[in-house]
Amino acid sequence: MQTLREFTRKTKRGNILKIVREHYLRDDIGCGSDLCKYCFQNEVYQLTSKHEIASSLFKFPHYLVLDTNVVLDQIDVLEEDVLHNVIVLTTVLNEVKHKSSSIYKRFNEIIHDRTRNFYVFVNEHHKDTYADRDPGETANDRNDRAIRMATKWYDTHLDTSQSSKEFERSGRANTRVVLLTDDAGNRAKAEAEGILVASATDYVKSLEEFPLLVDKLSHKTFDNEKQALPQYPAHLSMKQVLEGLRLKKLLQGAFQASRENYLEGSVNVETYEKGILIQGRECLNRAVDGDLVAVELLPESEWSAPSEIVLEEKNVYADDVPSEERAEEEKDMLQQVQQAAAATSAERTPTGRIVGIVRRKWRQYCGILQPSLIEDTNRHIFVPADRKIPRIRIETRQAAKLQNQRIIVTIDTWPRNSRYPQGHFVRSLGPLGDMATENEVILLEHDVPHCKFSEEVLSFLPKMPWSITAEDYAKRVDLRDLFICSVDPPGCTDIDDALHCRELPNGNYEVGVHIADVSHFIRPGNALDQEAAARGTTVYLVGKRIDMVPELLSSNLCSLVGGVERFAFSCIWEVDKEANVINKRFHKSVIKSKRAMTYEEAQVLIDDATQQNEIAKSLRQLNRLAKILKKRRMDNGALVLASPEIRFQVDSETHEPLEVEAKQMRETNSMVEEFMLLANITVAEHIAAEFTECAVLRRHPKPPPTNFDPLVKAARYQGFQVDIESGLVLSHSLDKCVKEDNPYFNTMIRILTTRCMMQAVYFISGSLQKEEFFHYGLAAPIYTHFTSPIRRYSDIMVHRLLAASIGADSTYAQLLERKSNEELCHNLNYRHKMAQYAGRASVGLNTHLFFRGKEEDEEAYVLFVRKNALQVLIPKYGLEGTLYLKTDKEGKDGVERTKSEIIFTFNEEDHTQRCGNVVFHSFDPVTVRLSLDSSNVQHEKLVFRLVKPYIKGFSVEPSSDADNPPTKKTKKDVKKKN
Amino acid sequence: MAYVALSEAEKTFILHGVEEDFRCDGRSRRDYRPMELETALVSNASGSARLRLANTDILVGIKTEIDVPDPLTPEFGKLEFFVDCSANATPEFEGRGGSDLAQELVLALENAYESPLAFDYRTLCLIPGQQCWKLYIDILILECGGNLHDAVSLAAKAALHNTKLPRVTASLLDAGVTDLIISDNPYDCTRLTIDTVPLLVTVCKIGDYCLVDPSAEEEVCSPVSIVVSVSMRNGEAFLSGSHMTGGGAMHRDTMRNCLDLGLSIGEQLNTLLAKMLKQEEERVGPKRPKTVGFLK
Repeated sequence: MQTLREFTRKTKRGNILKIVREHYLRDDIGCGSDLCKYCFQNEVYQLTSKHEIASSLFKFPHYLVLDTNVVLDQIDVLEEDVLHNVIVLTTVLNEVKHKSSSIYKRFNEIIHDRTRNFYVFVNEHHKDTYADRDPGETANDRNDRAIRMATKWYDTHLDTSQSSKEFERSGRANTRVVLLTDDAGNRAKAEAEGILVASATDYVKSLEEFPLLVDKLSHKTFDNEKQALPQYPAHLSMKQVLEGLRLKKLLQGAFQASRENYLEGSVNVETYEKGILIQGRECLNRAVDGDLVAVELLPESEWSAPSEIVLEEKNVYADDVPSEERAEEEKDMLQQVQQAAAATSAERTPTGRIVGIVRRKWRQYCGILQPSLIEDTNRHIFVPADRKIPRIRIETRQAAKLQNQRIIVTIDTWPRNSRYPQGHFVRSLGPLGDMATENEVILLEHDVPHCKFSEEVLSFLPKMPWSITAEDYAKRVDLRDLFICSVDPPGCTDIDDALHCRELPNGNYEVGVHIADVSHFIRPGNALDQEAAARGTTVYLVGKRIDMVPELLSSNLCSLVGGVERFAFSCIWEVDKEANVINKRFHKSVIKSKRAMTYEEAQVLIDDATQQNEIAKSLRQLNRLAKILKKRRMDNGALVLASPEIRFQVDSETHEPLEVEAKQMRETNSMVEEFMLLANITVAEHIAAEFTECAVLRRHPKPPPTNFDPLVKAARYQGFQVDIESGLVLSHSLDKCVKEDNPYFNTMIRILTTRCMMQAVYFISGSLQKEEFFHYGLAAPIYTHFTSPIRRYSDIMVHRLLAASIGADSTYAQLLERKSNEELCHNLNYRHKMAQYAGRASVGLNTHLFFRGKEEDEEAYVLFVRKNALQVLIPKYGLEGTLYLKTDKEGKDGVERTKSEIIFTFNEEDHTQRCGNVVFHSFDPVTVRLSLDSSNVQHEKLVFRLVKPYIKGFSVEPSSDADNPPTKKTKKDVKKKN
Repeated sequence: MAYVALSEAEKTFILHGVEEDFRCDGRSRRDYRPMELETALVSNASGSARLRLANTDILVGIKTEIDVPDPLTPEFGKLEFFVDCSANATPEFEGRGGSDLAQELVLALENAYESPLAFDYRTLCLIPGQQCWKLYIDILILECGGNLHDAVSLAAKAALHNTKLPRVTASLLDAGVTDLIISDNPYDCTRLTIDTVPLLVTVCKIGDYCLVDPSAEEEVCSPVSIVVSVSMRNGEAFLSGSHMTGGGAMHRDTMRNCLDLGLSIGEQLNTLLAKMLKQEEERVGPKRPKTVGFLK
């Protein structure tokens, strides 16, 4: 049987077309129930009598049919392993797909889980359940009718199967079909048609065995007991927004909340370099970080400047009506900022207000429940771990249980009359402060794929025991006799590079860099490859590694461990004594690393003159060459940047940090680095020449001069001139920034420089001009990543390109396809950034753990002077923190912020804070006391308190038993500078 | 034109029949052969009709497009006729064989529809001077059994009646530019009024007499015929065009008789067609009909 579906569509050119599709109706679609005696079942029964849900609403066995709104709103309920025997209509599936692809994906996963008994019934193609659209019926009405029709059909269909004598004899209760819908209109119509129907909320509440499922209900229909007045202006309708955008009255962009000030954010709009500033609760108008919003620009007279105030929201309670006091306070802040802005009109930036939301980018948020003041309340406030996300109002009955747990919550809606968005509880990650839980939080918050590798992915791994075959030897160059060794940080199991150096008869040296041949094991296009491409990079957390490729490869077959034969991709140069490259070649090889060393071991070997074995000799030679290479690079204008990096020594059992130390740089680190750079550059030149259109390269754009403003300003206050014309000049002027009395000054300047830099990114050579390939930081005209294929997917791509260019491996279509490679690069850049952030977050977390129950006085330096705070850096821990100067009216946490008479005055001209005769400049050394503030279970945070210089009534008394006695730099020095 | 070979004796027989007002198939001079008409049988088209007049078989499909009105007539929409003489009809149409005939039919139709009184082009206008509908009236001749003009015009009129234009609303953009928004409901359509749409009536002179609806054989016997296009306005038949075909000439009086005959026949045809289309629509209802098409 055939019918037709007609619809009209407008083409891009503005033409209107009538489109007609043939639609075939069938009579052989099975109902999927094991009760049925008539249907031809083309798969195993999905609807079985094995699962019966006890509902107080329907006290007989039943199947469920879901309406689209139930799937869209209550996906979290569906994901719980509670509901079984659910009939999924294709009408619903299509609507879900159309409305939300992410929910569609989640829903599909439930459907594919055979244990859940979700049966997809192709009602749109079943001859008895197909609903042709009636004249005058909206598409929505038709779908609702189709759903009711299918429900009705199922009910009668099952009824005929169950009316047999045989069934009656079995004594089982009749199975009926129940429709769940949250659409009141649909419910009324269904009732009129004699269909069993319930709303999702009523139904879930009727499940007596699963009382906790109620928490997961989405509260789109949250009943507001207090009909509070609207606190936000209404959003424009979608139509108005689109019209506004078209007329250029509104601007569209992604909203970015400020991390420091919850009442501030910006919208990135193409035409405005710095984005549009949004200030104040009403202007922010319920935008959540990441949302695509429509902004209206304010008249220029109302433009403002980003406030330099660090503002954190204080605890609020679920039943709070916004107190006048707080509103007042917010107004204060705004006024202050605006006055300040009026004064310094130069700093004023385009300011706007958000008038509509184009698309919400709500996701699931990790965080904690805030303890409620009232006992036995279901309404709670959830505090997300990410500061950019506002608090979320949720309803839960398990508050007591969740109190000290990390939980995941999702936002359902943000009505005008609610200060906070409303959401619901999704799942718990585990107890607060637990290492595994916290790591999970970090991974989730940074969108790091960290689930186990699927069976399909693992199926593409080589079968163990794996050995090298004669064929492999024939294809590769045999380098097993060379004295190759690897140098890596201690505890490294994914060794992807090894080196060798030997003297040639002509007096030159042969230097080889051997990189693990990962592309030999990961063949393009298979599931393993796709998974690796999606993950993009290995993520390193403190004490934990999230592999990009399964462990068998990363720690075994690919890892160039000592004394074992391994496949490698070798890059071999002949260099003269002055480290000039005379020629180079690439080939795949078999190597047998003689020794896997740590940096420290290698250093010892080099320094110990008594060691005269081959490895020691070649290491010394390598070290010598590396120094020449480094010098040459520096002369070219490569930047020496600094970022405070620390290492944690982690307890192997509890995974808790035992000791913190700043990362040490040894000569050997730099030695390995130099040769990796050389290899990367050599390979980059080679593949860019071979594949002008599709080589995977890495560039580091020169930052725009405005980026350097904070650096230049900060240096100027200290009387130094930082030149930013070019990398070379910058590098030289950085070298000159040395202060006799402040040995850490240069490092801090370099830290600031690092922050001015742009992100280095992967790109495809065909997409940019040759001049843009430049790597600013390394001062190299071309660069790529070749040396870490175990932990970076980009390197695998480069390996494939290189292998194809030297005929060592076959090419494939995708390798040369620019478009798909570009997309891959985008993903890699994103993953890379996220991996970095995750790594940093992990360090931060461990720092917190480390300071639990400790209090230490530490030497610190002022990095920035803000209006109400000092940003300080503690070199020992590479830790940055905020030292609040001005007290808030109520007192932040009541420790030292009692209403003090101490007044700090902020001098905008030279960015200093003055209190009495103590003046704080940037880069000034101070001593601060570090402690972990656990008084707030919600957010543990490190508290910085001033020890030196001593200001009466503000500083804390220096503790006598401090771990680190205060250093010689004291108040005197500070005073001297006044 | 499709040519039927007839002997002199056969021609004489036909001529005598006409003189007696008793034609070969038993009709009088004013009679039409039986017709079959079905509309909405091409689902891909916005409007369609198929007409079978004895052995003459015509399929008309109407496609719509958005176009810009001519600057001289900013308030008018557009019509475009296209006739395809299928080689199925007669082997002579193969290749470019049918193009002359097709051209003649197109001209006849364009001529008949040219007057805004005959076809209200304003109904096809969306935004004066900016956007209008353009209807492509594609006519396919599947079989030739004589009297193509009449059959084609009847089928075209029926197809126009059947045409459904999606309802379009305009929204004003910047600088007076408008954007069209179409309704998502496929049943939300506008229809054309076809009251004034003209029909062609071929009046054929055989011997001293005039007759309508000539069969293919009769056409061969006729030295000259006149195609009269008749448009109805307020229940009155008006002449909206005419042209002569065939090599012969016509006396003034004969021509007047022919035109009178054409007008009166045209009036009858129009009323009948309107009645039949109305009946069909009542039978089918607003939903998509179950079509018969070519499977009888």
